[in-house]
Amino acid sequence: MKPYVPEYVGTVTKYVFVDSPDTTPQDIATAAYEVAQGVMIKETCFGCQITGSPEDVSRIVDHLRTLDPYRIFVKDRGFPPGDSRRCRADLGGARPGYLGHEFEMKMAPYISYGLEAVSKMTAEELAKAAGSPLPTEEPLDADILEQLFLED
Amino acid sequence: MAKVFIYPATSLMLSDLVARYGHTPLGSAVSIREHIQTPGFDSPPLQMTAEDPQKGLKWAAVEVPSGIRGRMSLYGPLVEEAEAAIIIDEPELSFGCMGCARTNELLCFMLREKDMPRLELRYPASREEGVTFVAQIKKFLDDLKKEEEA
Amino acid sequence: MSDRPVRIAQITCGAEYSGIQNEITSAAATVGAQMFYPDVALKDVKTAYKEFGLPVKSPDLKLAIARAKAIVEGRIEADGIFIASCFRCAEAAIVRNELRRYIVENSKIPVVSYSFNERTSSSTLLTRLEALSTIAKRRELMAREVQVGITMGVDSGSSTTKCVIMKDNEIVGTGWKPTTEVLKSADDVIAEALAESGLKMSDIEAIGTTGYGRFLIGKHLNADLVQEELTVNSKGAVYLANAQKGFATVIDIGGMDNKAISVNDGIPGSFTMGGICAGASGRFLEMTSKRLGVDITELGALSMKSAGGEDVPMNSYCIVFGTQSLVNALAAGYKPEDVAAASCHSVAQQVYEQQLQEVDIKEPVIMVGGSSLIQGLVRAMGRMLKTEVVVPHHSQYIGAVGAALIASGFVEKKRAEKKEA
Repeated sequence: MKPYVPEYVGTVTKYVFVDSPDTTPQDIATAAYEVAQGVMIKETCFGCQITGSPEDVSRIVDHLRTLDPYRIFVKDRGFPPGDSRRCRADLGGARPGYLGHEFEMKMAPYISYGLEAVSKMTAEELAKAAGSPLPTEEPLDADILEQLFLED
Repeated sequence: MAKVFIYPATSLMLSDLVARYGHTPLGSAVSIREHIQTPGFDSPPLQMTAEDPQKGLKWAAVEVPSGIRGRMSLYGPLVEEAEAAIIIDEPELSFGCMGCARTNELLCFMLREKDMPRLELRYPASREEGVTFVAQIKKFLDDLKKEEEA
Repeated sequence: MSDRPVRIAQITCGAEYSGIQNEITSAAATVGAQMFYPDVALKDVKTAYKEFGLPVKSPDLKLAIARAKAIVEGRIEADGIFIASCFRCAEAAIVRNELRRYIVENSKIPVVSYSFNERTSSSTLLTRLEALSTIAKRRELMAREVQVGITMGVDSGSSTTKCVIMKDNEIVGTGWKPTTEVLKSADDVIAEALAESGLKMSDIEAIGTTGYGRFLIGKHLNADLVQEELTVNSKGAVYLANAQKGFATVIDIGGMDNKAISVNDGIPGSFTMGGICAGASGRFLEMTSKRLGVDITELGALSMKSAGGEDVPMNSYCIVFGTQSLVNALAAGYKPEDVAAASCHSVAQQVYEQQLQEVDIKEPVIMVGGSSLIQGLVRAMGRMLKTEVVVPHHSQYIGAVGAALIASGFVEKKRAEKKEA
């Protein structure tokens, strides 16, 4: 077996997704480049990926969040960007995680709406809003869920 | 700052909300990152080898399929580390790390069994539900902070 | 035929997490093939899953269904399909089986189905992926139905080495020996076959090798064709059984592993190879004959003296327990012929349970390989499958015949090259 020498040891990579009428994925990438200070930024169709020390990445993420606080979503990633082990071009197909993101991003508008509403709530209002029934007794079927998306 | 296990462990939304409200999300990426950044034998894509399903024996017996034991070797240590959990029921369209229903069932059970604060909910399907969804998560996470401070 | 690598679509569940993805990729690379994940969008997964109609809970199995459908419906091109899931996962086994059936019935793409665990290595997968790659790359050669010129086939198996010389569609020389030193055994059987045919090595126009020792012997003989035994044996079987058109099922119970191949117009469509334990292979029958004090060649005749031995408690799921039940049966006073028949029944049962579930059994069922000469085993298999099993002449030489037949595809080209030179 071939020995494995990892790259980017000690770094973290985060995905930054944006789903907003005001901010494009390119805006996010541009803004990230502006404050990058040498940290690796990779522009993507949904926003960007940032790879660097945890402190650097966190600094950039905090900055990006201020651009469109309710419509930017950030997630950890195990791989550094463009890694051939996960790259669509090398595998001939999307990595499985891509479809999961596709699924969750469909509800981004609802969550963005929720984030904005919640940000204006007092502690009492928050407790009240959190008291509404969720989950419903029966989880919704994915197809019904999709129908709801379409109707919305 | 509490370590909050997110289920689905690949969830973008949960990862975002937990970090946004000041805690550390524990999910697949954390374990995968550790594999990718540890030297050893070359085993693309995930740097998982036959040893990982063997490590998984701590959480699942030998007659449990190797893919489940391998996944449990990713999640088991995170569950042990977790101080709280948020569970969204029915992650029926999360693939890859969350692609195996049997692993997901076992994982869910382990999270429920552990004595720690836990929030269970489902995905929102409207703007109103979006408010409830975010409010429940925020309140849960705020309460964790209060507990820590107390 | 272009030089582009053969593209094998990977439809698996659990491979990455079992730590064996690299084994799959490396095995494919060794045989000049490339694995790829068929690209599907989320909406394809939802539609395909709904249309396929098999309810499953695991998202990755839904993804597998969508990937298979995308290939069968022609939205994604693939030369072969490797479909695999974790050993002992019931949900995945159902999906794997149904997808395999769906692919075979609705496309001409060769498919191999497999269940793995963390111990699965690239060497185990090699022969299977090589077979997939061969069917895709060498369709022309595989379509050959008549042997031409003078050709030789050498089959270096785990138990025995065989050689066949063919001339103008006839077998003119054979050689057979237990495998000891791979090269020496090959040289011995070649000498035997040449002597019988009255030909010299220089008369041979093309050579094909197969079996475990195929690479080593292929190099030694400068063979024109070095090919795994799955495609070679199935080709040899339908050729000898005169079943080159339409469907057929080939069963080869070998010394180390078993093969079950479903063939359509002479070309393998789906196949399975392996076995959990030697208890399901010819090795168990060797142990039985040793214990009964008869030569393996006499075991068949002995077993036919019994009505079938189904009443003798015998289970060779594991060779150790199988041997134990053998000893117990003899100690309990069962007659040697009944014990012999019971061993045959047990091996047939294991092959039926472990392998024949992975291919569609379509008549004629052809049994080949050395074990097909053990009549009790053929009878037991026929009873199990409720069909008359065909054992063609020279069935013990099947790999060598297949190799000689396929290698004859090189004869005309070589003759033309010789003329030019």
